[in-house]
Amino acid sequence: MSHIELIDIKKNYLGTEVVKGISVTIDQGEFAVIVGPSGCGKSTLLRMIAGLEDISSGELRIGGKVMNHVSPDQREIAMVFQSYALYPHMTVEENIGFALALKKVDKAEIKRRVMEAAQMLELEHLLERKPAALSGGQRQRVAIGRAIVKRPKVILFDEPLSNLDAKLRVQMRTELMRLHREFGSTVVYVTHDQVEAMTMAQKIIVLHNGYVSQLGKPMQLYREPENTFVAQFIGVPKMNLLRGKLQGNNFYLQSGQVVDIGNGYTSGNDLQLGIRPEHLKLQATSTQGGWTVDVVERLGVESFVHLHNATMEQLVVRVEGDCELAADIQVNLQFDAASCFLFSDKGQRLLRKPAIEQAAG
Amino acid sequence: MVAVVRSSSEDVTVTHHASQRRAYLTLVLISLFCMMPFFWVVLAAFDPKASQFLQIPQGVTLDHFKNIFANESGMRWVLNSVVIVGSATILTLIFAGFGGYALSRTQAWWKRPLLYGIILVRIVPPPALIVPVYKVMLFLNDWINGLINQFTADVEQQQMLSRMFSFIDGYLGLILIHCAMQLPLAIWIMKTFFDAIPKDYEEAAALDGASQWQTVRHVLIPLALPGFAAAGLFAFINAWGDFLMPLMFTSSPELQTLPLGMFRAFLRVDAIDYGFLTALAVIYTLPAVIAFAFARKFLTQTFSGGVKG
Ligand SMILES: Nc1ncnc2c1ncn2[C@@H]1O[C@H](COP(=O)(O)OP(=O)(O)OP(=O)(O)O)[C@@H](O)[C@H]1O
Ligand SMILES: [Mg+2]
Repeated sequence: MSHIELIDIKKNYLGTEVVKGISVTIDQGEFAVIVGPSGCGKSTLLRMIAGLEDISSGELRIGGKVMNHVSPDQREIAMVFQSYALYPHMTVEENIGFALALKKVDKAEIKRRVMEAAQMLELEHLLERKPAALSGGQRQRVAIGRAIVKRPKVILFDEPLSNLDAKLRVQMRTELMRLHREFGSTVVYVTHDQVEAMTMAQKIIVLHNGYVSQLGKPMQLYREPENTFVAQFIGVPKMNLLRGKLQGNNFYLQSGQVVDIGNGYTSGNDLQLGIRPEHLKLQATSTQGGWTVDVVERLGVESFVHLHNATMEQLVVRVEGDCELAADIQVNLQFDAASCFLFSDKGQRLLRKPAIEQAAG
Repeated sequence: MVAVVRSSSEDVTVTHHASQRRAYLTLVLISLFCMMPFFWVVLAAFDPKASQFLQIPQGVTLDHFKNIFANESGMRWVLNSVVIVGSATILTLIFAGFGGYALSRTQAWWKRPLLYGIILVRIVPPPALIVPVYKVMLFLNDWINGLINQFTADVEQQQMLSRMFSFIDGYLGLILIHCAMQLPLAIWIMKTFFDAIPKDYEEAAALDGASQWQTVRHVLIPLALPGFAAAGLFAFINAWGDFLMPLMFTSSPELQTLPLGMFRAFLRVDAIDYGFLTALAVIYTLPAVIAFAFARKFLTQTFSGGVKG
C-alpha cells in the first residue's frame, strides 16, 4: 500500500507562506505530475513528501501511515533530484549501489541488482566511470538507476528532464513511462513543462502560487479547465483570452467585433472569452476581416498565425499544414461556438446551463 | 598579397620570440639568484669542508647529519616537532572540519560576526597574544598539576604525566596552542570549501538511507578532501615553522623542538660549524616538503559532474 495523501499541507519560510494548503490524494501505482510555473512551490511540496523539508502544518500519509515526522530513509521513497546529485567521487556502479551498501546487503546481491538496473537503463558499459565522464542523459539515467535499485514504493522526480536536449527529452519520457509500467511504483513527478505533464501523467496537479489550481486527468484539464490559469497553462500555444461582454449568444469584444459563442451562458459585462488556437478558423482573406496578421510561425505540419485587431487584442490561430500569409494582411476569423469557454473577470470558468434547464428557463 | 601578410606576421612572431627570450633570461637569472642560498644549504650540508661560501664540495659526507643525531639530541628534536605539530594538525583538521561545516550550513544571524571574530584571532600578531595566553595557560597548568599530584604520589610518574599533560612545558600545552593558532585559517578554508559542496549530496545520502555519520564518512569527507589537504598543509607548515610558541611555553631540553634546537645550537657553538647548521636546516625543511608532496595529490583532486548546471 503506497498511496499518498496530502491533507491541508502548508509550508512557511520565515513567515512567508509558499505552500498554502494543499489537499491531494495520489493513488497507489499512479503516475502523478505536479506542474506549475517557476516558483509556485513544486519543489517545496515534493521535498516535504520526501522528508527533506519540515511540514509547517497539515498531514502527510503514505500507505495510510502519518509520515510528518518520519525520517526520509524510513519512508521507503526514492528521489531523483533536479540536480541529479550523483556522488562525484564514486563510480556509476557505486552510485547506484550506495543505498544497498549502506543497508549491508550482500555484495553479490548488490552486484546483481545494480546490473539489473543498469541493463534496464542501458548503463552496463558505463559502470566503471565517474559522473564527470558522463553526458547529461547518461547522468540522468544513473540518477534514475540509483532510485529504482532500492525498489521503492514511491519515486519522486524533480524536473528530471529539464537539462536535456529536446530529442533526448522525448526519448526519456517514453523510457520513464515504460519504467513506471514495469515497476508499478507510485510516481510523483514535478515539472514546469506542460507537454511532459500531458504526455506522461495519469493525474495532473496544477499548482499556482502555492494552491492547487485544478487536478485531474490530462484531457480533462484540456477540455474542462476550471480557470484561465489552467486554460492557458495546458495546451500549446496557450488558449486565447478576449475581454468583452455577453448579450444572449453574442460576445462583444472591446473592438466592437461580435462572436457567436452558442447558447447557455448567462449574459453579463466584464467577461473573458476563451478559445484555443486549434478551434479558430481563418477565412479567405478579405479586406475588412478585422484581424491583421502579425507573424506566421511555419512548422510544416502546422502553422501558427498571430493576429491583432483594432484594439490591439492578440490572438493565435493554428492552421493545419503550411500557411503562406504575408504580414499586415487582413483576415476574417471563424470561432467554433461549441469550443468557446467563458470565464469571469477574475478568471473563474462559467458554465453553460444544461439543455433541460435552458428549455425550462 | 597573401605572401606579404604572412611575412609581416612572421616578423611579429620573431620579435615576439626575441622579447620573450629576453624576458625568460631575466627571470632565470633572478630565480637563480633567489635560489642561491638553498643551493648553498644543500651543498654545504653534505660538504666535509663546509664554509660560508658557495662552493662545489670536494667530497660527499654524512658526518654533519651523524653529528646531529649522535652528539646532539637531534632525533629528540625531530620527534618532538613531528609529534607536536602532527597532533596539532590532526586536531586542527578535526575541529576545522566540524566548525567549517557548521558555519557553512547555518543561516543564523551570528554567522558573519562569528566568522570575522574567528579571523581576528589570526590578524592579531602572535607576540601580542603571549601575555594573556600565558596567563590562561598558567592557571590551567596549576590545575592539571594539582590533578596529577592527586592521582599519583610517585615522583617519577608525576614527572612523566606532567611532561605529557602540562599546559606549560608539556606536550599537551604546545599541541593546543599550535592548534588554536592554526584553527582560524583552517576553519575559513573548510567553510569556503563546504560552501562549494551542494546540499543535494547530503540530501541524496539521507534518502539513500545514510545516517549522519555515514553521510560524513562516505560523502562529505571524500568530497572535502582537497579542502582538508589545503587546510592541513597550511596548518602543518605554519606550526612547523613556528618558533615563538615553543620558545615561550617550553623550558626543559626534553621538550625542545627542531627550530629551538637549531637556534640554541647556533648560539652555543663558538666557532660556527656551517656543515652542522646547514644539515639541521635540511632536516628542518624536509618534513615541510614531504607534507606538501603528500597534500598535493589531494589538492589537485577536484570533483565535478555530480550536479548539473
Ligand atoms: N529556503 C527557502 N527560504 C525561503 N524561501 C524559499 C526557500 N526555498 C524556496 N523558497 C521560496 O518558495 C517558493 C517556491 O519554491 P520552489 O523551489 O518550491 O519552486 P518551484 O516551483 O520548484 O520552482 P522551479 O520550477 O523554479 O524549480 C519560491 O518563491 C522560493 O523563493
Ligand atoms: Mg523546483
